[in-house]
Amino acid sequence: MLSALDRRHTVAPPGYSRWLIPPAALAIHLCIGQVYATSVYKNSLIAHFDASQTAVGVIFSIAIVMLGLSAAVAGTWVEANGPRKAMFVSACFWAAGFLVGSLGIATKQLWLLYLGYGVLGGIGLGIGYISPVSTLIKWFPDRPGLATGLAIMGFGGGAMVASPLSRQLLSFYDPGYDPSNAGSVASGNALVWLFVTLGLGYFVVMMFGVFNVRVPAADWKPAGFDPSRVAAKPMVTTANVSAANALRTRSFWLLWVVLFCNVTAGIGILEQASPMIQDFFRDGRTSAVTVAAAGGFVGLLSLFNMAGRFVWSSTSDVIGRKPIYVVYLGVGMVLYTLLALFGQTATALFVLLACVIISFYGGGFATIPAYLRDLFGTYQVGAIHGRLLTAWSAAGVAGPLIVNAFLDAQGKPGTLTAAAYRPALFTMVGVLAVGFVANLLVRPVPQRFHEPAGGRGDGTGSEPVAAERSGTR
Amino acid sequence: MSDEVSRGGQTVRLWVSWLVVGSLLGYGVVQTLITAAKLFTH
Repeated sequence: MLSALDRRHTVAPPGYSRWLIPPAALAIHLCIGQVYATSVYKNSLIAHFDASQTAVGVIFSIAIVMLGLSAAVAGTWVEANGPRKAMFVSACFWAAGFLVGSLGIATKQLWLLYLGYGVLGGIGLGIGYISPVSTLIKWFPDRPGLATGLAIMGFGGGAMVASPLSRQLLSFYDPGYDPSNAGSVASGNALVWLFVTLGLGYFVVMMFGVFNVRVPAADWKPAGFDPSRVAAKPMVTTANVSAANALRTRSFWLLWVVLFCNVTAGIGILEQASPMIQDFFRDGRTSAVTVAAAGGFVGLLSLFNMAGRFVWSSTSDVIGRKPIYVVYLGVGMVLYTLLALFGQTATALFVLLACVIISFYGGGFATIPAYLRDLFGTYQVGAIHGRLLTAWSAAGVAGPLIVNAFLDAQGKPGTLTAAAYRPALFTMVGVLAVGFVANLLVRPVPQRFHEPAGGRGDGTGSEPVAAERSGTR
Repeated sequence: MSDEVSRGGQTVRLWVSWLVVGSLLGYGVVQTLITAAKLFTH
């Protein structure tokens, strides 16, 4: 039955609209983006299992580690089997993760939650994240940044959907739960039904993606698209590089460093956003920014994180991938410096600087698939993207570690001021500087790494976009 | 699978697909804006 999901059975018939592909990708990313909304029910899980913050926090960490691992390991499988099967498998793992997790909550077996949401859900996350990327790039050879920006924007939007939805569902299943009170704790029964509802609901929405996604025919190209214009750009290849060969190139590892630095810097602020704004405007023991206002700041950052993914990635189609990373990292350095030196002078200035910084963070995520396509071609771009996402996992550890280590050295939470953040922020400027240099060093991939003309790069590993090739190899 | 897609059927499919993801995203954006507004009102 699964063969119906194979790549060869999902080639689009003539006249199929490519604008059906972005909503298919969004259907997947909006669902798996829920992973960033786990804090909503964290307190309830702690109370239900009578466990520590760390024991429950590990669930999220397992899911993120599994995301990186499964994206790296399954990338080639996703390329070979096509987006429809990958999306279906992702939906099965993601939904199964919630259902097994609900069983763990119902039976008070924390390890089942680790296995369910952490391991199974994490595999669904990794496969789901990369599943639509290479297909979008092939459908939008003229605007790959816009296409991947749309999809990866969904991942940012997923948390914005899941947070209020989870609160409202918990309140529905447990009338004693107050969705407007962050400290409110829901019953175990409400948590079970929340997980069951999310699992089934997400499965249905992801099936929209499975149903709509198609790969373009080998000879398809968008109306009015001139492949020779692609070949004319020096940083955009018309050749193809396999995932295995990509790992042997200097450019891949330079991009790994670029993504790692961009994400490390952004996560440093994101992870600390709520206490940070309160500390910057603290006078003695009290802050001019209330807890509720700090929550509003976190919400605003989510919006800019999401918008940056679409806006900046689309902009990269116009100004080029390397220049846009010069902006993310170079202007980012200036903004971090301004934040460290003048952020405490006015709330509006602090918020403005932080929002632009976070929009660059989101933009960095969304633009990287198009950058990979420019350098390595379309042949196995999804698999290469999967391997590059290990930089995200590493940054997810490094960013919070750097910030927390500096803050721990400065004093206790609730007593910190703007000055306490300066060492961490200036370190982030240094991290961005490393990424800035790495980006400048990125060069086109040498010809010896290219797939031979008429060989695998034109074949079944991924649907070729023959029209994109101009025979310049 | 038919060799050629029906134009009317595809238009409906486009509308439904964008409506589903647009509704989800719109719900998230509106809810987040309500939360973000607290930055300016508290």
